[in-house]
Amino acid sequence: MSASVVIDPRQTHETRELKHQNPLTTLRVDPTGRYVAAGAQDLDVQLWNLQDGNHFSLAGHKSWVRSIDFSADGKLMYTACWGGTVKIWDLSHEIPGMKRSFQAHQGAARWVRLSPDGKRIATSGNDLLVKLWNAESGELEQQFSGHDRHVYGVDFHPDGQHLVSQDLMGNVVVWDLNTNKKQRTIDASAMTGYDKKFAADMGGARDMQFSSDGALWASAGITKVVNSFAGIQDPIIVVFDWKTGETKRQLRAADKFKGVAWGVRFHPEGFTIGTGAEKGGKGEVWFYNDEQDTAFHTLAVKSAARALDLVGNDRLAVAHADGAVRLYQMTEKAIEADGSQDATESGKD
Amino acid sequence: MRRHHDCDGIDHVIARRSFLAGSAAGVIGANAIRGEGLFSPARAAVLETQQKRILQIYLQGGVSQLESWDPKPGTKYGGPFQAIPTSVPGMHISELLPHTAKRMHMLSIVRSINSKIGDHSQGMLFMEKGRRAGEYPYVGSVASRYLAPADGDLPGYIHISKRGINDATAAFLGARHAQLKLDGNKPPANLAIPASIDETADQTREQMRLRFNRRFSKQRSPALTDVYNSSYEQAAKLMKRKAMFEGKAQEKDLDRYGRHDFGQHCLLARNLLENGATCVKVTHHGYDTHAENFNFHLEQLGEFDQTFSTLLDDIHDRGMLDSTLVMVYSEMGRTPKINTKYGRDHWGTAWSMALGGCGIQPGAIVGKTNADGTKVAEREVDAGHLFHTYLSAVGLDTYEDHDLSGRSIPIGDPAAEPIEELLS
Repeated sequence: MSASVVIDPRQTHETRELKHQNPLTTLRVDPTGRYVAAGAQDLDVQLWNLQDGNHFSLAGHKSWVRSIDFSADGKLMYTACWGGTVKIWDLSHEIPGMKRSFQAHQGAARWVRLSPDGKRIATSGNDLLVKLWNAESGELEQQFSGHDRHVYGVDFHPDGQHLVSQDLMGNVVVWDLNTNKKQRTIDASAMTGYDKKFAADMGGARDMQFSSDGALWASAGITKVVNSFAGIQDPIIVVFDWKTGETKRQLRAADKFKGVAWGVRFHPEGFTIGTGAEKGGKGEVWFYNDEQDTAFHTLAVKSAARALDLVGNDRLAVAHADGAVRLYQMTEKAIEADGSQDATESGKD
Repeated sequence: MRRHHDCDGIDHVIARRSFLAGSAAGVIGANAIRGEGLFSPARAAVLETQQKRILQIYLQGGVSQLESWDPKPGTKYGGPFQAIPTSVPGMHISELLPHTAKRMHMLSIVRSINSKIGDHSQGMLFMEKGRRAGEYPYVGSVASRYLAPADGDLPGYIHISKRGINDATAAFLGARHAQLKLDGNKPPANLAIPASIDETADQTREQMRLRFNRRFSKQRSPALTDVYNSSYEQAAKLMKRKAMFEGKAQEKDLDRYGRHDFGQHCLLARNLLENGATCVKVTHHGYDTHAENFNFHLEQLGEFDQTFSTLLDDIHDRGMLDSTLVMVYSEMGRTPKINTKYGRDHWGTAWSMALGGCGIQPGAIVGKTNADGTKVAEREVDAGHLFHTYLSAVGLDTYEDHDLSGRSIPIGDPAAEPIEELLS
């Protein structure tokens, strides 16, 4: 991003489409902004090089990929699937290849994150466990038990000394990595609901992120379950004060938007971004400021929006249910020499 | 509204049976393989003494065949779950059923149901009645009519569910064979004699009721009083078995079955079957997964799997499996195509169920769907075929007519037939 570019969420517009044949389930952008990787309703990882346009379809998982992370230099990629396997991919060569694979959980491995120092991997899964792995060797270093229901997500605090994990019932546990014990719990029960009609629970984190200074932690998901079997509940992004564990914000979509919040990111300029999928298949990107818990700007997108990440500071990458990764520019549209505004690029795998 | 009289008053039954007894041998001889006459009392008597039973586990809402009995991992619509091997070589089911997988040598799967119905109510009625339309009795009411001992201590058809209304299940078979719906594991209401009435007063009022009944019946059709009589008889039987509903479940059983509703309902089902119930249906709700199909199936089938496996073990270990037909079914399946809510919608075109125990060949797979699960590829059947199969498995000749005077109504739909290769 050049110094002269002014970030203005209200100007957000689509600039590029990367198309896959199956609906996408998750997405992650490498910290250098070179790669965007996505999981889909199939067995492969889709990897696009945003700089040279190359696309790779990486085979190896035996189930849908649920979560992706990258090393800080963008040379390694970590993927976790519903089959419980975690794979490490080497992206440092011309053709990416699998470096290591290990069975992380019995049942789904729902989440994978690399520690800030790049030495350890945290995973969580349907065996109710949170695990820490040596990022180089893939050996198990620590295992944390204490959740009673499926553990939907896990992340490292930026200090590298704590893990936070959230389960189906909105139980959030903070783990102290110095003592390897549960340090405290945070109540996210607003993010779960019991569907009386169908006698089942629904909830859990669909995405989570810390602010860069570690003072805030956000989790995206659902609230106010009415009929979750039909997708009738409200999307919500809850922002917690890390120090006190108290809920600081409950960010909402418009009342008529019933569905799920699938993505959340803190932007360096102080606003918060969320993505959601509406029960009828529509998608929205929400922008929140510090003044109100409803979005100050909502961008309607072409299809249900399932995952979100930043590409640098001025672009968003969103995984959509129609199989596309779409890039959105958060600046004013550029004016071409002929007076027209910039057009959307598209590509297919 | 059409009204059915109960034609099962005791006197009426005795008279009809006396009449039929003379021709029973001829009927059985002529229809030994495929009966086309009235259901014979001689056969009914044999079935009653055999104590055959039916356990129905109804996964309400439409369990996904792809997340249960017909997994297709790695295919276009296969979903995120994998297939796991079972105790039957070559048979794989969804990884969501690990406990059931170890017991598939006691069960068989039908993978080729095309009911052509994607509607909860119509699908359920077809699966229960074996007919697409019309007022016919449910499987449980047929079992009550022909399998339950006339002097049985429990109603012939008991349904355990915490939701829904009490369906009219007996049609022309009469109120005695209608479903008794239990609200979960709560005992039926009003089982105890009111505190203000002692035993002597209770007997006196019952004698008075019978006297009035007899006088009333002399002038009118017994059908008018038989419905009431059966209700009183059922209530009296239940009152005698009051303790069965009121006893607290043992801790070790709750640990094995699970303390959730479905666990407790299945434990009650076991106790009812052990104590002479003929057909017990347990409904497990929560499979209508238009959204979050995968997370919900993880939760619901996780609960079903361990509990059902425990119940199956107990039925087997008590030596009851050979005489108990076990059905695990829904009213339909779910679409192969996954919608934008990660859901699967209603689907009657190509789906599955499992059954085992009495009269069923164990470890079999009947039928096949195509690679993506979008249509039946081999041995298409519908609920008409399944209805014949359930009842044939417990020894009924489903081509015979119901035991009704003046009417000829085949037990099963004459346009369908049992799945013979599934019958042992």
